[in-house]
Amino acid sequence: MNNTKVRMLPPGNKPAPGMPKKRRSSGASLDTRKARSGWLFLAPFLIGLFFIYAPVVIDSIKFSFATVKIIPGQTFKLIPVGFANYNEALFVNTQFIPTLTTGIKDLLFDVPAIVIFSLFMAVLLNQKMMGRAVFRAIFFIPVILCTGLIDELDVSSSKFNSYMQDTTTSIDTGSGTDTVNEIVNVADIQWMFNSMKVGTELTSYVVNIMNNIYDIINRSGVQMLIFLAGLQSVSPAIYESCDIDGATAWETFWKVTIPMVSPMILVNAIYTVIDALTSADNSVMMFISDVYRESSVVSSAMAWMYFSIVLGIIGLVAVALSAFIFYQRRD
Amino acid sequence: MDNVKNKPDTAPKIKKETKRRIRVDFERTSFWTRFKLKYISSGFLVSSIFKIARFLLLVGIAYVILMPFFTKISSSFMSGDDFVDVTVKLIPKYPTLDTYKAIIKENGYFIALIRTTALSLTCAVMQTFVCALIAYGFAKFKFKGNALLFGLVILTMVVPHQTLQFSLFMRFRYFDLLGILNTFNIIPFTKINLLDTYWPLILISLTGLGFKNGLYVFMLRQYFKGVPDELEESAYLDGYGPVKTFLKIILPLSVPMLITVFLFSFSWQWTDNFYTRLFITGFNTQLMPDIAKVPSLPDPSIPQGMFEAAANNASAMLIIAPLIILYLFCQRFMVQGIERSGITG
Repeated sequence: MNNTKVRMLPPGNKPAPGMPKKRRSSGASLDTRKARSGWLFLAPFLIGLFFIYAPVVIDSIKFSFATVKIIPGQTFKLIPVGFANYNEALFVNTQFIPTLTTGIKDLLFDVPAIVIFSLFMAVLLNQKMMGRAVFRAIFFIPVILCTGLIDELDVSSSKFNSYMQDTTTSIDTGSGTDTVNEIVNVADIQWMFNSMKVGTELTSYVVNIMNNIYDIINRSGVQMLIFLAGLQSVSPAIYESCDIDGATAWETFWKVTIPMVSPMILVNAIYTVIDALTSADNSVMMFISDVYRESSVVSSAMAWMYFSIVLGIIGLVAVALSAFIFYQRRD
Repeated sequence: MDNVKNKPDTAPKIKKETKRRIRVDFERTSFWTRFKLKYISSGFLVSSIFKIARFLLLVGIAYVILMPFFTKISSSFMSGDDFVDVTVKLIPKYPTLDTYKAIIKENGYFIALIRTTALSLTCAVMQTFVCALIAYGFAKFKFKGNALLFGLVILTMVVPHQTLQFSLFMRFRYFDLLGILNTFNIIPFTKINLLDTYWPLILISLTGLGFKNGLYVFMLRQYFKGVPDELEESAYLDGYGPVKTFLKIILPLSVPMLITVFLFSFSWQWTDNFYTRLFITGFNTQLMPDIAKVPSLPDPSIPQGMFEAAANNASAMLIIAPLIILYLFCQRFMVQGIERSGITG
């Protein structure tokens, strides 16, 4: 009885003794108030986006359509030149288009190799076995150590090494490329594939991968981590029921593991493309950096063209893969 | 059932000892039968072959990963005599510390070490915290434009640095306080040159725009999504606001993931040479990229090319040595954090 009485009182009145004082900070519902604090958490990113990132992107687009004149005082001036920079990049600079096409071709070849390799390694590292922790620790070393500066040192020393091999007996520069030659002989693989009667394109593709295995291992660290996390989230009950129904490991892999990690395949494909864009040995980016030293505006134009092509590729990959993705409904 | 009835001897015998304890006698199959069933079968053969192959494969790949480090270490200790000696391949016969000494002395290693540590630590702490904030906002709050903004976060990672290289340089070379002062002409000459200071990197870190911060936001968002909502609801009931809930409940919960992100951001900032070279160009601001220079030849008889290779390796070792120590401490958390995140699309 008492309860109903309290509820019927107008809001301004004093609540019954014993009831906690109701706090009404605003007329908004709990959901709206929660949404508001969501914006609070995003504040740093929003500030950065509007005050640093968006202006920088807009500037960069502007620069690609202009020439920059630095006035000795405190400022610089932009003189718009229309499509002149793009024109120069495409038609005057003879090296840009060949570099671009080979760079994109390399990218398209690398992405499947890295995704498949990292999925394979993640499946292996997910199994229970002796020394799993040690293997995991070793496999994630490249993520931490072989980035940026070290990567660049490796690239320069491997170039140097190929020069050295012609001239004298060389010391191992530690770039990893030498190690691989000791493990796999390319001729063997070629022989194996020739006897299997598959096309020469596939042969050269596999041989290429084998030659760059060090590179591929180095670049698939984060992807391995993401796949491993995806595999961990697959409920063991599914595997158990497969086992009871008599499915072999092969069938389980294709019917359970692949669909369950398929969202990760998309994420990793996109990440691999992004990672390739920012790596030190990306030929197109190296070329653009070289151009940057001569003419920064032309390099801006080139970079935007390259980026828009790659964005198109990412879009295509996303559309193509999303047909095969299986999303588990959890609710 | 019939089986049990017909052969009551094979059924386990239950002896009641006391009221609370019973003893069961099983008849054990002989050792030989058990051995035969377990080890002499095609299934065991196949699985053991598979296990051995898997082990060999993993060892092989581990070798490919570790070998460059061994060769780096060994060739960095080589002296002039080793370069000339044809028999020396991997292990130097006359090890020397001269290369290290030259790099430490000529390239100012210790100054660079202290500066880089300070810079990386600041940036990594900021990036970890800010990315956690942003990721929590994306993971747990539903508001209009959530998905769109998250797409923007990913887009900031997709746009390659080189695209923005020049305009980033210009923005921080002629920095006006967030573009406000210049737009409204409050004070005419307020453009500050922020190059050669740590401010560009700190500003970028504070706003979650640093190197690969989109990836951190993505990882942390997946992790926070896995944290049950009930936990926060109970915190709200106990009178915590969203910020306090985040600081006191969510952050302590996600320490493994935070350490993973910290490890990534620290080491990627440490070896980063894009932003550092772009923003810090001066000569008296020694940072890690400056270590990677070939010092002058200690002895004119040493072949120049050989010495360059050895010096490259030595400087690489000097650069990654602190990172290796950090990795040894943190890698346990890395796998743990990733495993618990349960990342799904």
